[in-house]
Amino acid sequence: MKSEKKSNLIQSILIHIVLIILALLVLLPIYAIFLASFKPGGLLVQYGLNLEIDFSVMSFDNYALLFSGSSDYWIWFRNSLIITAISVVCTLAVSAFVAYGFAAYEFKFKQAAFLIVLLILSVPFEVIMLPLYKQMSNWGLMDSYVAIVLPFVAHASTIFFFRQYLLGMPIELIESGRIDGANEYSIFLRLIVPIMKPAFAAMAILNGMNAWNNYLWPLLVISSNNKYTLTLGLNTLLSPYGNNYSLLLVGSFFSIVPIFILFVCFQKYFIEGMTAGAVKG
Amino acid sequence: MKGIKKFIYNQKVAPYVFILPFVLSVLLFWVVPIIQGINLSFYNTLQEEFVGLKNYAKIFTDKIFLKALYHSVRYTIGTLVLLLPLPLLFATMLNSKLTEKTAGFFKSIYFIPALTSVVVAGTIFRLMFGELDTSLANQVLNALGGSSIKWLKMDWPSYFVLLLLACWRWMGVNILYYLAGLQSIPADLYEAASIDGATKFQQFTRISIPLVKPTTVYVMTISIYAGLSMYIESSMLWTGNNSPMNIGLTIVGYLYRQGIEKRNMGYACAVGMILLIIVMVINILQLISNGTIQVGKKKEG
Amino acid sequence: MKKILALILSMAMVLSLLTACGSSSSTTSDSSTATADTSAESDDSSDGFVMDEPEGEYTDLTVWTFIELHQEFYIDMAEKWNEENPDKQVRLTLMNMDYDAMHNKLSIALESGTGAPDVVDIEIGKFPSFINSTTIGLYDLSEAIEPYLDEIVETRLEIYSKDDSVYGYPTHVGTTVAFYNVELLEEAGIDYESIETWDDWKEAGVAYYEATGKQFSCLETTAHWVVNLMLVQKGGSYLDEDGNPNLTSDELTEVLNFLVECQETGAFSPMPGGQPDSDEAYASFNQGDYACQIMPFWQTSRFTNYMTDLSGKIAIATVPRWSTSDTTAWTIGGGGTGTAVVASSENAELAAEVFAYIKLSSEASVDIWNVLGFDPVNTEIWTDTEITENPDNAFVQYFVNSPFDALLEMSDSIGALSDQNSAYWSDITNEISTVTLEEIFENGTSVEDALQSSQDTVMTYVS
Repeated sequence: MKSEKKSNLIQSILIHIVLIILALLVLLPIYAIFLASFKPGGLLVQYGLNLEIDFSVMSFDNYALLFSGSSDYWIWFRNSLIITAISVVCTLAVSAFVAYGFAAYEFKFKQAAFLIVLLILSVPFEVIMLPLYKQMSNWGLMDSYVAIVLPFVAHASTIFFFRQYLLGMPIELIESGRIDGANEYSIFLRLIVPIMKPAFAAMAILNGMNAWNNYLWPLLVISSNNKYTLTLGLNTLLSPYGNNYSLLLVGSFFSIVPIFILFVCFQKYFIEGMTAGAVKG
Repeated sequence: MKGIKKFIYNQKVAPYVFILPFVLSVLLFWVVPIIQGINLSFYNTLQEEFVGLKNYAKIFTDKIFLKALYHSVRYTIGTLVLLLPLPLLFATMLNSKLTEKTAGFFKSIYFIPALTSVVVAGTIFRLMFGELDTSLANQVLNALGGSSIKWLKMDWPSYFVLLLLACWRWMGVNILYYLAGLQSIPADLYEAASIDGATKFQQFTRISIPLVKPTTVYVMTISIYAGLSMYIESSMLWTGNNSPMNIGLTIVGYLYRQGIEKRNMGYACAVGMILLIIVMVINILQLISNGTIQVGKKKEG
Repeated sequence: MKKILALILSMAMVLSLLTACGSSSSTTSDSSTATADTSAESDDSSDGFVMDEPEGEYTDLTVWTFIELHQEFYIDMAEKWNEENPDKQVRLTLMNMDYDAMHNKLSIALESGTGAPDVVDIEIGKFPSFINSTTIGLYDLSEAIEPYLDEIVETRLEIYSKDDSVYGYPTHVGTTVAFYNVELLEEAGIDYESIETWDDWKEAGVAYYEATGKQFSCLETTAHWVVNLMLVQKGGSYLDEDGNPNLTSDELTEVLNFLVECQETGAFSPMPGGQPDSDEAYASFNQGDYACQIMPFWQTSRFTNYMTDLSGKIAIATVPRWSTSDTTAWTIGGGGTGTAVVASSENAELAAEVFAYIKLSSEASVDIWNVLGFDPVNTEIWTDTEITENPDNAFVQYFVNSPFDALLEMSDSIGALSDQNSAYWSDITNEISTVTLEEIFENGTSVEDALQSSQDTVMTYVS
């Protein structure tokens, strides 16, 4: 018994060493940019990104720049928050609605329709980008957040995930609802939505990440500076014609923060949702 | 009005109402654009003339396209080789009883890179792998006794950087996927196995790997998709679509170059269709061979 | 329903909390918390550019650029325009974007017929793709350019022209000049003023290398400023007589072979970043790793911005040529940005008139030199020493000699690489600056083989 405990201890230490090494590797680039956020942008251009700590060149100047409000950074930041919130809420609501249709009913063309979900999962967005752009401008939606969110509201992989999740739901739940005289939609809203919470959490994080970091599509759709998202804005700082690395560094570092908070809040549900969801197959 | 309400509330009609938003959005945002894309691919859009299959014929003699195709495929294979087994291994460690107390902490840490945008991540890596002696990667190399490398100017080193970037960003996500998969395996299976005298390694190969297959299928599907349509990562590492000897050019990058930079939309659409076909075929084959598509049928049937 | 509501609400709460975090951390600034007041905010902030509303009637024009510095310059000039033309006032709204992003967006906007601005800066390398299609989405500027035609360097219009129509206003000539680090050269006992021919240049390189063990000058791999210059000096071209790509010409082969010979002396090598106009190159030049670079005149602003340690050490000189008795062009204009007007704009005619003034007038050229440090395409001020040698000018202060001396010496012989408006130009320049030069200088492929292989690649696009 004692030796088993001992071998467990050794194993535990070994595993932790491996995990810590991985954690350090993962954090290294973040640490590097954190350090760099205290250095003048010019130095970065000159020497590249490294881990040297030289207090004589380090200062809070970049932070002062960021918080002094002289840049559009916080406008971009707020825009990104708004877009992320809208698209997460819309995508989850619509996708759950659709997924329930696939999971709870038998109907004609269901096979075909579901196959389409799978096929759409594999259409590279870049392929349809230009025609889609034309469509949006025909509808007069250019330069609006609607155009950013709308095409992805019925999101194939989210639907796929929710459907998998719902396949595991108890049929009796629906039956009991019907016996109580509830209609199909209130069954969905009152009985099904509550049990989908973990799945919502999981998908909120994944969709939130995508929306927060989305780059290509907003780039095409948005054309006013004051509607720029954070990723678009940060990229303008990268231009070779007026490099603005100082703000870029500190701005990049800060762009990670909100989504990280969101993740930490939902982390528990995320795993739970994943466990019960798509990956069960 | 009441009639409509009754109609919608009908149990037979309800499923169609449920999937209506999906059908609409598929038609408007995917099917129509794809058809338009197919149509455009038969035109020389610069000269505004119908050229039939000429664009497609050209693609297969186009050395640069073939190079881009090679890079995309190579990248996809690389990510599959690295981002399936390693995350499974780490997930197994995190799922072990020995890490019960610390797992949450590590999970959060590993997930951080996925939260950075490609723009930020690509920039960080570009600067870390600069060719100067003072960039982080070369400092490490020099400390180990090697000499500096022009990372982003050479074929294989830059492939390495791209893979490293992919691993950095997606390792944590895949670990979480696998962790979820592992946690859905009943614990008594392992207990039974260990009573029968199976080693940890045997438990891993005989229980864990087969039983997380659905996760593997899922991760593989999204990895193939993401790998073959990779573009922004490369455009951030080389600050644009041009790289020395085109070492960073991917299919989507090429689609960009042709369609948007050179405004040769017809040819670009042909490239896009080829990409679409490749991704679809691979993914469908993969899903069939894994039984995922059939499994779906059985459950519904 | 309640549950969904609850979910949405809790979601909104989390996010508003986050927003609050974001805002409260920025309370040091007075404006960021005022969420409703975006437009006012971008007015105040330094890089959201909308002009103040002119008094009286005016027309709104949107302008896209990828050059941050242009924003301020355009606004200054537009204000001058408004003062002089109260009946034709304009208000500019400027959008600054990343280089690739802006051109890609423009391409898509023109393709789809919507979303384009009124006026846009198009970089020279991207220009051909906008003027080589059956339908050209840009406005013909020939008429608006008329009043300024006598004063500007005409070869700079050619590169933005197609079939007798001009589609872009140049800002500068981008006269290619040589930048020498005088301090380093003096230490090695070399007099840059005696360098007249390319052979002199090579010999000076060898002498410098022998004296110091350091590299004299760089070989470009990701751009081809020097190759263009040498090629035009030889009367060569990247195209054949029919306008098809021809990379295997004798002239180009000779030019590259000469550069290979330079490399073999050990005094010349590919530089970090692949060309002088790159972040890495600024750094290595700033450290004194190289003593000479040959670049278009606008490199001056890179010196003052990114190579600050070299202040008072750099001289601007004429470029070497193949022989001092050459009658072909001595130097060429390099790089550049053509400001174009979008044809579908409702105010295209006015925009063309206003921007002709903003970029080509002599008022403009003073600003172009003072603010941007460029050699203005309107050469009227080139001889006005009060402006060109103004001691308050940052560029005059930075360089050892008067920046315009070299320009004036060569001003009668400024050629252009006329290939640059060809439909194949982007393929050619892409191939050369990503493959050909890399093969030759980094991988040691022979000039003939590298050019032949590149020629094959480029010909794929000729249908």
